[in-house]
Amino acid sequence: MKKLAPIFSIVLVLTVLLSACTPTAQPTATQAPVEEVTLVVWDQFYRDVESQVMDTLNAEFEAAHPGVKIERVVKTLDDLKVTLKLALSESNGPDVAQVNQGRSDMGAMVQADLLLPLNDYAAKYKWGERFSSSVASRNSFTPDGKTFGEGNLYGVSPTAEVVGVYYNKGIFEANGWTVPTTFDEFEKLLADIKAKGITPISFGSLDGWNAIHEWSAVQHLLVSLDYINNFVYGVNNATFDTPENQQAAAIMQDWVEKGYFSEGFPGVGYDDSNKLFKAGEGAMTITGSWLAGELINDTDQKFGFFLLPGNPGQTRLAIGGVGIPFAIRKTTTHADLAAEYLDWMVSPRAAQLWAEAGMMPAMSIPDGTNVEAGSLFADTLTAWDTINKENAVGHYIDWATPTFYDTIVAELQKVFGGETDPAAFTAAVQADYAKFLSENK
Amino acid sequence: MNDPLRQPGESRFHGWLYLLPGMAIYLVFIFYPILETIRTSFYKWDGFSNNRTFIGLENYASLLVDGQFLKALLNNVTFIIFYSIIPILLGLVLASLLGRKPLPGLTFFRAGLFLPQILSMVVVGVTWRWVFNPTFGPLNMGLRAVGLDAMAKSWLGDFTWALPAVGSVGTWVQYGFCMVLFLAGMQRIPNDYYEAAELDGASEFRQLLHITLPSLRPELGVALITTIIAALRVFDLVYVTTRGGPGDSTLVTGFLVYRAAFQQNRIGYATAVATIMTLVIFIISLVILRFQSREEQT
Repeated sequence: MKKLAPIFSIVLVLTVLLSACTPTAQPTATQAPVEEVTLVVWDQFYRDVESQVMDTLNAEFEAAHPGVKIERVVKTLDDLKVTLKLALSESNGPDVAQVNQGRSDMGAMVQADLLLPLNDYAAKYKWGERFSSSVASRNSFTPDGKTFGEGNLYGVSPTAEVVGVYYNKGIFEANGWTVPTTFDEFEKLLADIKAKGITPISFGSLDGWNAIHEWSAVQHLLVSLDYINNFVYGVNNATFDTPENQQAAAIMQDWVEKGYFSEGFPGVGYDDSNKLFKAGEGAMTITGSWLAGELINDTDQKFGFFLLPGNPGQTRLAIGGVGIPFAIRKTTTHADLAAEYLDWMVSPRAAQLWAEAGMMPAMSIPDGTNVEAGSLFADTLTAWDTINKENAVGHYIDWATPTFYDTIVAELQKVFGGETDPAAFTAAVQADYAKFLSENK
Repeated sequence: MNDPLRQPGESRFHGWLYLLPGMAIYLVFIFYPILETIRTSFYKWDGFSNNRTFIGLENYASLLVDGQFLKALLNNVTFIIFYSIIPILLGLVLASLLGRKPLPGLTFFRAGLFLPQILSMVVVGVTWRWVFNPTFGPLNMGLRAVGLDAMAKSWLGDFTWALPAVGSVGTWVQYGFCMVLFLAGMQRIPNDYYEAAELDGASEFRQLLHITLPSLRPELGVALITTIIAALRVFDLVYVTTRGGPGDSTLVTGFLVYRAAFQQNRIGYATAVATIMTLVIFIISLVILRFQSREEQT
């Protein structure tokens, strides 16, 4: 034992030394002179075109605010999600950052008191005139972070998204098919395409998440807006175990059985299935408006976009919403400047730049913006405009609980693989949902 | 240090001083995080906010009845077959083929078969995802080309085949390592043994069983430990190929930890899983080491 004593003393000294080292902070570092302000912004617009839009907007903001410098940090969404929470709890973290919506990101950060409520700024800059209340509620939480969809506003989104059906115009024209206007027509079309030996719906569920869109796009036609809102925001005793949700699952299994999806779809990734679709394999694919930019370049095929149609008497909801919002760190020393930056991110000029880059802005597009009529992008804009006007903007249902995404992806893969039946599917997902609601009280 | 020329046999304290840098790094970057991980597993915590509640063993208790965790653990055990047992058998066969007699182009084969081991797992995963692609992957295209259309499957998306498919990628990565390890060990075995055995009329297989295998005991131990550890902590391959799907058929504990910690804000749960896995790996390694050293003494 005596021989070991020196080791212990070394360990002890080290521990003391280390614990003395770690908390050393530099409190003076952030106090730059008033004229020279650096605003640190974290965003996830890493793809070429998006990144250029951000650079242009930042440069124009700097030009309009002498002395202000934007320090831009670009990350992929995955990377951003993993690092942002800790960064925001630092006193020298980003002043402005894109914060993913939903409970596990924005909700958890509000709960940890990391984000600045934007209600005053919303009034000052009249954001209410730019966005509908349904859009604002997606970026809202009660101050305790527990109730989603109401309470304080914590972010503003520059872009919008809608999930619908892309179709190959060449294949449609060659066979005399037209865009269907009811769900019955859509299913008839699927049968016709299959009969011609063409894949009706290009699809690959290996990555998981787009299986949600496939199923939920049909689910949205069967349920009401109130149901979807209640469900995602976890209010009014919403449940997943409903006949409509089972019916949507049954429709998926029916389509699998009839061979409407790509052959071997469970083993194909999202990007691979889109590459095949882009190369002319398959007549249609169900996914979000974000793919439009991808389908315009480097292809000899022509594509169009329409909303999945409902039958008469059915609602005509579509999965959709606004992109990842910009939020402000609660402890920033430049709150006013940061808010001005947020306002610039959702300005008409930003809308124009996003639209010209082929990305759908959440704000209305100012006159004089260059959008080609009859183009794929014009189709997606029309779709967004339609559901916006009809108040039919649905939800990404995986926002409902922090574990919902993983649960429903696993269960939907079982649905598509014929490993479960619709009733067992809704029961399994409801178990996850009910557990969360009871713990969240 | 004003007394640099101490005589050997004096204070051992001096010796410990040389260990200080290494030990400091070990303590800060390995020992402290492990302790902190174990401590966190007794809490309910989202990973960044201040509301951290001590809940004792609750995380562990819930794991025992957590179907997902048990399924993941079972998948890890299945991975041992693919990551450890098959590669070791393959490595043995290949080593005895390549090692005994000088073959033309031996270096080429040795390097070629070892190649998968030096590739990054992400590269391996992406490559195999392409190989397994049901539409344009070479595996299915090859099967169809020789008329085996019925065997062409949606490999990574099939509830029966996804686990063996991902597992076989592990086999592909690990067997080269085992082979090189065994080849090195076989250099140590005097050729006289084999000559004597041959004179006595022992077949190649008998020679493998009675000369090669017993002589390779230390290498077998190393191969077992490293490959079993690899099987129990597999993450990257599953992350890149299937993300645990379809359903939970390829879910492994490593992926469960990642998902709980970084996507679901359940740090307590994640660290509990990590702690259990560390313990399991530790015990298995200990058992193999004990077993090996006892055999060496006899």
